Amino acid sequence: MKRWYGVATVTIICASAIYPVAAQNNKAGDGLSIGRQMLAEDNPGELWIDRGKKLYYERRGPKSVSLEQCDFGLGAGKLEGASAQLPRHFADTDNVQDLESRLVTCMVQLQGFNREALIKRAISPAGSEGSDVEALALFITSRSNGMKMNLALDHPKMREMYKAGEYLFHRRAGQTDFACVQCHGEANKRIRLQDLVNMTDKKQIQEVVSTWPAYRGAHFVVRTMQWRLYDCFWQMRLPELKYLSDTSIALTTYLHYQGNGAVIKAPGFKR
Amino acid sequence: MRRARFKWMALGLLVASGCATFPDQATTRQTAEQMLSEDFTAPSPALLKRLAQDRSQQICSKIGSTKLTEEEAAEVVRLSRESIRYPSSGIFAGDWKRGNTLAHDGAGDRIQFGKLEGRKENGGLCQNCHALAPGEINVGNVGPSLTGYGTQRGNSEAIAKYTYEKIYNAWTYFPCSNMPRLGATGHLTPEQITHMVAFLIDPQSPINKK
Ligand code: HEC
Ligand code: HEC
Repeated sequence: MKRWYGVATVTIICASAIYPVAAQNNKAGDGLSIGRQMLAEDNPGELWIDRGKKLYYERRGPKSVSLEQCDFGLGAGKLEGASAQLPRHFADTDNVQDLESRLVTCMVQLQGFNREALIKRAISPAGSEGSDVEALALFITSRSNGMKMNLALDHPKMREMYKAGEYLFHRRAGQTDFACVQCHGEANKRIRLQDLVNMTDKKQIQEVVSTWPAYRGAHFVVRTMQWRLYDCFWQMRLPELKYLSDTSIALTTYLHYQGNGAVIKAPGFKR
Repeated sequence: MRRARFKWMALGLLVASGCATFPDQATTRQTAEQMLSEDFTAPSPALLKRLAQDRSQQICSKIGSTKLTEEEAAEVVRLSRESIRYPSSGIFAGDWKRGNTLAHDGAGDRIQFGKLEGRKENGGLCQNCHALAPGEINVGNVGPSLTGYGTQRGNSEAIAKYTYEKIYNAWTYFPCSNMPRLGATGHLTPEQITHMVAFLIDPQSPINKK
């Protein structure tokens, strides 16, 4: 009996050390999500889901196999709920991987594609048909639609990534003195007319983590979280973020964990 | 009494073993800095150095609701003061027309597809964060409105100097604020800053029109 008491206390103390963002009632957030919801009706990104599905089941690459043997964390071929738990630690690579890095691992190891070539084309040019990786990432995520984001910091490397992400989110650098939090830490802020999501607000961060990959109106293509992070570093005037880098996965781990509980509804629709 | 103390020690140990699995601050910093050193590309090694932090940026990267200590704030202000270089002309207010253009220019110095944005000069970025002339709609609100700035404060030498210093290094007057230290970090030149000072305080400037 007494021992349970101790364990419970430890659990509470440990849990509070992670301090996920507090839920707040935020009017701007509501306005923002209503606007986005209106845009989301008739989302051209839906077309990418079918393309991704075809690519997933097709025998492709030098080894001419489908991606059905790829394990996204819940077992080979099990897609339902998989992206809700990503990034996660994978025993075979002994790394924390997000959806895109896991996907590339499988396309290389199972299908025999060349890693460098995949990475080079992963983020497609605006106005193009989009890349295979973008379509696949959307298809796989869409299989978790309606399910809740549910990252676990159960593995030491997950906790390491989470903490690194938190550090990076607040780390200012460069000639603009920006860290992420300068643009994503307050309610009702805009850069020119672009609404800035306040990622320290539980509701708003949930809206973010549940809507990627997303159709980006300005580019006429589906974009992924890897692209979004790259683009924010570009605005910050920092060097170019490498696709699938640990920095990107640390930030995604941090953001996704903060958004736990959000109901996935990919593709989102972004300006 | 002794038993109670023992109980707390035991609990402390439990907490330590249960939570030690979260890396401590120093380890986290090391891990993350290591990542940063490997995870970016730039057209030249000099540009890669943009990722390095100066002392003020380190101090100003607090996590969550952690507050600046008084000593830290004082250090940031001291470093800011030391950073300021004045225009060689000795005149704080330049050409408001050029300032107008610069204040509305958000481009310059970005890196994409292995190239540095090719441009004669960097934009001032002001419009991204501040309301400027009355009636302008495409303006940000990360910073306070600057509409009517000169009408409210006049265009005395003291105001011109304050405004110059504020744009050169915003942290002189507000340590760690969200406004970039545009002169101190090299984003803008002293001369460019004088034009933006004129844009803010000159009675002829659109910012001070009704
Ligand atoms: C200079 C301002 C600025 C900084 C600094 C910045 N961002 Fe952004 N961020 C934006 C803008 C603008 C958008 C896009 C808003 C839009 O499209 O309407 C955005 C969008 C995003 C989104 C997508 C939000 C959504 O709608 O789902 C994510 C995620 C994001 N940023 C993460 C980051 C991270 C992580 C960092 C730091 C590495 C960062 N941002 C730094 C300005 C910034
Ligand atoms: C990324 C956002 C951002 C950019 C870009 C920016 N500012 Fe600011 N500015 C702020 C914030 C936030 C404040 C309030 C905090 C402070 O005083 O530092 C501020 C404050 C100021 C003030 C002080 C106002 C007062 O009441 O004394 C002036 C003047 C100013 N900015 C001018 C400029 C000019 C001119 C530019 C462009 C050359 C510029 N700012 C660019 C965010 C920004």
